[in-house]
Amino acid sequence: MQRLSYLKPQTLEEALGYLNEYGEKVKPYAGGTDLMVQLREHTSKLKDVEYLMDVQYLPELRGIEVKDDCISIGCMTSHTEVNESPVLREHVPFLSIASSTVGSTQVRNKGTVGGNICNASPAADTLSPFVALNARLTVVSVDGTREVLVKEAMEKAGKLKFAPNEMATRITIDRLDGWHTAFIKLGRRKALAISRMNCAVALKLEDGVIADARIAPGCVFATPDRVEKAEELVKGQKPSAELFEKAGLAVSEEMIARTGIRWSTEYKKPVIEALIQRALCRAAGLPED
Amino acid sequence: MPLLGELNKNYKVINRSVPRIDGVDKVSGRAHYAADLKFVDMVYGGCLRSGHSHAKVTKIDTSKAKAMPGVLAVVTAADMPKPKSCAGPAAYMYLTDEVKYAGDVVALVCAETKLIVEEALRAIEVEYEDLPGVYTIREAMEPGAPVVHENYPGNKFKDSYFPIRKGDVEKGFEEADLIIEREYETQYIEHSYIEPEAVVCIQNPTDGVMTVHASAQNPFFTRRYIADVLGVGMNEVRVFQENVGGTFGGKEEGLGMLAARCAYLCKLVGRPVKMTFSREESFLESAKRHPFLLHYKVGVKKDGHIVAWEGSQIDNCGAYNNQTQFMNSRASIHSCGAYTIPNVKTDTFGVFTNNIHGGAMRGYSSPQLIWGQEQLIEEIAEELGMDPLEFRRINCLKEDTTNATGQVMHHVILPEIMEYTAKKTDYQRKHEEYKHQTNKHKRKGIGMSIAHRGCGLGAESPDASGAMAIANEDGTVLINTGLAENGQGLKTAFSQIAAEAIGIPYELIRFYGTDTQAIADSGMTVASRGTVMGSQSTRKVGYRLNEIMRGNALALGFFKDQEDVHDVSQIVLEDGFFHTTSKPDVKVPFKDVCNASLWTGRQMAAYEWFMPPACDQDHHTGQGTAFPTFAYGCCVAEVEVDMDTGYVDVVKVTASHDVGTAINPALVLGQIYGGIVMGQGYAVTEEVEVSKGKVRNQNFENYIIPTAADMPEMDVNIFECDDPAGTFGAKSIGEPATEAVGAAIINAIYNATGRRIRENPANLERVLLGKKLR
Repeated sequence: MQRLSYLKPQTLEEALGYLNEYGEKVKPYAGGTDLMVQLREHTSKLKDVEYLMDVQYLPELRGIEVKDDCISIGCMTSHTEVNESPVLREHVPFLSIASSTVGSTQVRNKGTVGGNICNASPAADTLSPFVALNARLTVVSVDGTREVLVKEAMEKAGKLKFAPNEMATRITIDRLDGWHTAFIKLGRRKALAISRMNCAVALKLEDGVIADARIAPGCVFATPDRVEKAEELVKGQKPSAELFEKAGLAVSEEMIARTGIRWSTEYKKPVIEALIQRALCRAAGLPED
Repeated sequence: MPLLGELNKNYKVINRSVPRIDGVDKVSGRAHYAADLKFVDMVYGGCLRSGHSHAKVTKIDTSKAKAMPGVLAVVTAADMPKPKSCAGPAAYMYLTDEVKYAGDVVALVCAETKLIVEEALRAIEVEYEDLPGVYTIREAMEPGAPVVHENYPGNKFKDSYFPIRKGDVEKGFEEADLIIEREYETQYIEHSYIEPEAVVCIQNPTDGVMTVHASAQNPFFTRRYIADVLGVGMNEVRVFQENVGGTFGGKEEGLGMLAARCAYLCKLVGRPVKMTFSREESFLESAKRHPFLLHYKVGVKKDGHIVAWEGSQIDNCGAYNNQTQFMNSRASIHSCGAYTIPNVKTDTFGVFTNNIHGGAMRGYSSPQLIWGQEQLIEEIAEELGMDPLEFRRINCLKEDTTNATGQVMHHVILPEIMEYTAKKTDYQRKHEEYKHQTNKHKRKGIGMSIAHRGCGLGAESPDASGAMAIANEDGTVLINTGLAENGQGLKTAFSQIAAEAIGIPYELIRFYGTDTQAIADSGMTVASRGTVMGSQSTRKVGYRLNEIMRGNALALGFFKDQEDVHDVSQIVLEDGFFHTTSKPDVKVPFKDVCNASLWTGRQMAAYEWFMPPACDQDHHTGQGTAFPTFAYGCCVAEVEVDMDTGYVDVVKVTASHDVGTAINPALVLGQIYGGIVMGQGYAVTEEVEVSKGKVRNQNFENYIIPTAADMPEMDVNIFECDDPAGTFGAKSIGEPATEAVGAAIINAIYNATGRRIRENPANLERVLLGKKLR
């Protein structure tokens, strides 16, 4: 067991001061639902950590604010809070659904959306809707504040492109008023399941035609991303199962183009195609079977 | 149709759903388990596992660990006088420097705190020389394969070989119109009890008795290891069984090994020592359900009669022997399923590999066998163009037919159970309809399986037991037996049985659990034998106490005003009151006679032993009587398969079981509900993934057991019958509850997809692609 010191800054300034002073020796603690498990497993990326800094109660990291063109979610918002938020249910229902599929009730009560992103697992359930929502992380340090797209925040699985003195405070997402969204997760069981694969899609329909689209598959790329080729393919078209089948194919082609043929491709290729097609059908209100 | 209650069995205490004795304690969290216990000056022990599958320890340096403040002892194999355990052929090692599997322990640490134990374990430096190993059944049998145990050349565990030779199988194949050959392979399964193994040892400072509080399935079995490692008499070891948070066959050898190591450290440091397994250690050292490689060749006539059945059933023992020989005895007896076939030739044996070891796990080979056999039955029916229910009707065991061992079967209500279940689930119509589905994405399936199970230990080993009953002067009664509560409700069932036999209310009985210095060993609480055979001595001692107390009532003059009463046979004890046969309205309370008995020095306790009639099988042919009786069951599963992802949703399971007499119907239901979900995990999601002996999944984030959200709708039908073999007519249910479920699910998946999965579990990848990904 690592011997760790517990830091509980009362203000964001204090927290940034600790980060600046201790750098990689300090690890921000959100809900702990991944971090505590990784510590118990002696995960190598945490071997130099000496301080856990509890940032759960910093006011800058909390609360959901709906603005004119976007929504700002504090990083310490729990999955349960995201799931139960009436405004998120109204404006971005697929994020709400994704939050409801994370782990167990206890994990959703403690685990946070900021933690889910910053843990940088490609299998994180909320990553796909966040990427579909062009989510931006507000990253702060004593040196200032910057914004980074969630899809560009990860260097690789388990690692963020953050300077040692930086931390994320808020997530800003597009408002997709009037869009139709869907999130589908494939797990090995109905609760307490890690995504085998998932996908988040959003469609803007105008006069029966797809005016705009967001397609974000989960667990298929090294770092999460939308598939613009698939989005372009459906834009300007009428929704149909055939069209969405092609979109699925575009996603699987992109997966293979980026990650190559792997031992798991034989399974993942047909399944991500089916999930994309199914999610698009669900978003467009078409029958799925 | 003898469903529960229809036979009017007229019992007073049994056959009723009385509340569990330990129910409120467990549900409210009041119950303590071994890991909860704390003692003054208690310290902690821990194990260093090699993580290597087959290796020699070339160097082990414990100096850094020993130098750490708070470390009391560091022990390696070289330090231990007797590192090899007593557990029969290919016995486990308490400590070893010749690693045979990833869970082998190379060092022990004892320290003031758990944290120091963990740090000291990490400070031990070990160098290994890896050796070539064998991992799969096929590899182990290849000529020239590395040998796991020198005294078992070719890795064949010869002591676990059991043949069945019935009729003339060659002649059978000549008569056959169709011959079908198939192979099935099953996986490693973890018991997944919620409570990991835990032991606390304290050496009594006065008399030196090693006192052990343990989450032991079988306290007497645990005692054997402790006496062995300490080199003391069994009367110098006292094992208390604490509440057990699930075991399912898992807290036997593994728990014994843990208790022995803990007792050794306790004696070494002279302080109480607690050792508990982490979940990962539990995955690594507890036995698993044996993987079986099943190969069957079956000859069948056009009219649907099976005329020949040939098979080999080979199980992967892993690195050490864990009951494989007993398991294979059962596997051989059940090697042609719940069918009567004139010509049978099967061979069952185990092979050693450098893997985690197979052992007892709820079913004791039957979930594996039935999983293959019940698929095979449907495959044959399909080849014949016959409805699978009709094919089962023709061949299944019926009254006065014979099983694989040639035993003539009696009280066979299997056909009745099967027909009832098929009708209730609309099996035939759905099965036919689902074959022709055209839905692209989601398809329904329905599947059936039938099973028979020899009750108790049968010919495996003697199914004898002893029990004690003590009446107190206030009219309460204590019972005790060498069988142990394992969470299945044994204390409750045994108390009901004792109350029924003594003739007093259930509430007057208490069974506090097992202490090895309070009662004789009654064999293990395994094989679903507790109620069916293990409680025979409890019933017997109840009758004996009834007789004793009636004698006391007579001798003490409680009925002296009834002049015609002069013999104990004229006195009845029922519902907690004595009366005479001639004047049933004049009642004397049980407690009055108890009180008077104490102060007059009369006997008010008894001990009885029960030994069942011997089973008798020929060693060379397996022919003969294998079990006193059999329990029958039928399971129908309904699934929805996602054809795009391979996800299987088990929607509904209908399970019908012959329990003879339901001692406590609520506990029977509990057994069956749990059994169904365990069967679901076995069929769909669970697999301890082993790669060259290394266990990939060691915790529940990636060893996938069904959650409450995954549970199917369950419809349970309890059947009773008049079979007198078990206690008050009871039959086994713990293992029957789970053994046939997996087969029904896998048949339902086939009904939906048209693709056979002959290697389980039917996880996402296998259902979609028909194979394991890696």
